[in-house]
Amino acid sequence: MAAQQLDPNESKYAASARNFRDNVKRDLGNQELRENFRGAMDYLVDKRKNAFPDGDELETLREQCKLIKQRCLLKLPHLLEQLEENLQANGIHVHWAETITDANDIIAQLIAAKNGKSVVKGKSMVSEETALNDYLEARDIECLESDMGEYIVQLAHQHPSHIIMPAIHQNKKQVADLFADNIDGFAHTTDVDALIGEGRRVLREKFCQADVGITGVNFAVAETGTLCLVENEGNGRMCTTVPDLHIAITGIEKVVEFLDDVPPLLSLLTRSATGQIISTYFNMISHPRQSGEKDGPEEVHLVLLDNGRSQAFADEELRQTLQCIRCGACMNHCPVYTRIGGHAYGTVYPGPIGKIVSPHMLGLEATNNLPTASSMCGACGEVCPVKIPIPKLLQRLRVESVKAKHNGEPVMKGEGSGRKSIEAAIWQVWSIMHKYAFIYKTSMWFATRLRKLMPNKIGVWTSVRTAPKLAPQTLHEKVQARQNQQQYKQLQGGK
Amino acid sequence: MSTNIKLQSNVAKSSILDKLKSQVKGADYSKLPAEPSYQYPQLSKEQQLAQFIGHLQANHAQVIQLEQAQIAETVSNELKDRGIKKLLYGTQAAHSAHMAELDADINTDISAEVFDFNLAGNKEKLFNDTPASITSSRAAIAATGSIVLWPTVTEPRSLSLVPPVHFVIVDAERLYATFATLIKEQQWQDKLPTNAILVSGPSKTADIQQTLAYGAHGPKELIVLLINS
Repeated sequence: MAAQQLDPNESKYAASARNFRDNVKRDLGNQELRENFRGAMDYLVDKRKNAFPDGDELETLREQCKLIKQRCLLKLPHLLEQLEENLQANGIHVHWAETITDANDIIAQLIAAKNGKSVVKGKSMVSEETALNDYLEARDIECLESDMGEYIVQLAHQHPSHIIMPAIHQNKKQVADLFADNIDGFAHTTDVDALIGEGRRVLREKFCQADVGITGVNFAVAETGTLCLVENEGNGRMCTTVPDLHIAITGIEKVVEFLDDVPPLLSLLTRSATGQIISTYFNMISHPRQSGEKDGPEEVHLVLLDNGRSQAFADEELRQTLQCIRCGACMNHCPVYTRIGGHAYGTVYPGPIGKIVSPHMLGLEATNNLPTASSMCGACGEVCPVKIPIPKLLQRLRVESVKAKHNGEPVMKGEGSGRKSIEAAIWQVWSIMHKYAFIYKTSMWFATRLRKLMPNKIGVWTSVRTAPKLAPQTLHEKVQARQNQQQYKQLQGGK
Repeated sequence: MSTNIKLQSNVAKSSILDKLKSQVKGADYSKLPAEPSYQYPQLSKEQQLAQFIGHLQANHAQVIQLEQAQIAETVSNELKDRGIKKLLYGTQAAHSAHMAELDADINTDISAEVFDFNLAGNKEKLFNDTPASITSSRAAIAATGSIVLWPTVTEPRSLSLVPPVHFVIVDAERLYATFATLIKEQQWQDKLPTNAILVSGPSKTADIQQTLAYGAHGPKELIVLLINS
């Protein structure tokens, strides 16, 4: 199967994730970029805070939504079958894909079957994951992003730097320059209303002409066979209403059991993401155009993508990764993301969620730097609306990344790829030292006495810090000395 | 659909489901923990109405309270204020007759047209030559200031989406406290339409430097005609 040939199927994001350290250096040095992120993150943190005035409500909702997602994951295979059955009964076609290439191929074939030449896209991170635009453009199908942020990013030949606000790394002046370079007849302005007006003009023409609309899905309801989309702009509605063919693509973890599961999840999603009590539009699609209806697509298709999700599913701890509803709150509150920005990660999903989900999609070999890029401050876990223990999962992935070879079933693709023999040897020695008191005491005695031999320069550590110095005596020795002294005093006093 | 795609999909389906099933085989659903739900304070009808209007206005929608009989006149005035002379509406809605009267009214130069054509073949007209539309709604939600659109054969989906000014008629009698209570009381799980939509304001975006701009792709203005008798 195609999945086994590594190269042709490897995501372009694997290569950029491998360059994580260089990317970080590049982006930390970019003052404008850092200001753009700082401003945006402060804004989003503030918005979220104001959207949850009642702490009790927030905590009850988080517990409820965590349990909803955990229930849906426990029943996942069953719910996926039920979803397919109900969608089909509603007239919506369902396709399954294990790899990104398979998903892209299915979509290309669906478009070809309708002789489609132009596609308008609603915002879909899963289609970013599959690099669908590249795939379709290589087949002469024009593929235009219609979410304003995505449109900007596409014009700039970039990919989103944030899962909710894709163009957050650009300020209005940069957007104005971009429009001036790319849109004929655009009168340069940094007025945001005028910029959005220009995007509206260009994109409405495209909505009017496009053969195909492609979108993601926020919740797929198994009980009713319904695809739910959350959005503010109306481009999602355009893509799902105006063209004759609508193709939705989503990850297998987006299915929920009941329609009743949707309201609490929706409430937490929009409030956690942008601080809105609800998005402007909540779009629920259950059928293609039915007899007598005057608009809407003649055909609706759903592509269900695995791409490493079943690997995360196979481990009970890592399965919690799949609870994610893609609100982006973890990145908004992350001190690392705020400083390095979304592109430094090199992956489709940046920030804390990206660090725990990307290793399943791209393999740990390409991503083993990511779980280490955390100060373990725990903010991501605290704000996560579905209570994913992100810091814990980061620690777990660090362990997987340096795991020794073993004969059992591998937990993850690329596990152990970050293992360095010298590091492993150091920990081996550490472990022995701590197992036997005599060895521990002796080696500590020597370490403290020979402390002058410690080098002053220890790689990257001392590039911005002074080298640590060992104390002349161990704590054990000091305490022992103190106790001896006290005993001596007592003895003296007792005389 | 080509057989190739179907075959490919079937192979992927059984592979994915086999992997998932092997992990949760024999899972005992009866042991799932109880899911808590937050008890929101009960609001009176008046409070709910105030909440509904407040949220809509905060989201930049215009709310006009009126009686059924005033719809035509109000719409006519609002259109005049905006210099708009064309309006598109659906057939067989409670307000359709009023719109037909508006069209026939010799005192105004507003032409109201019925959406009785297929969108295919009329896209240019809808996108470029339809400045305003009016639709009915099925229900409304107080907690979030949302209006439920339930497009039908007579009131197509694009009617509430493409024209830059959207008038929507909301009956205060059909105001529900929350989305959850609405779904429960109307038993949505039994029958959903082709497309159900919650609308909570005009189309907007903050994608450029977190600056809010209205009229991203859909209506620039949402005018809520709230019937409260």
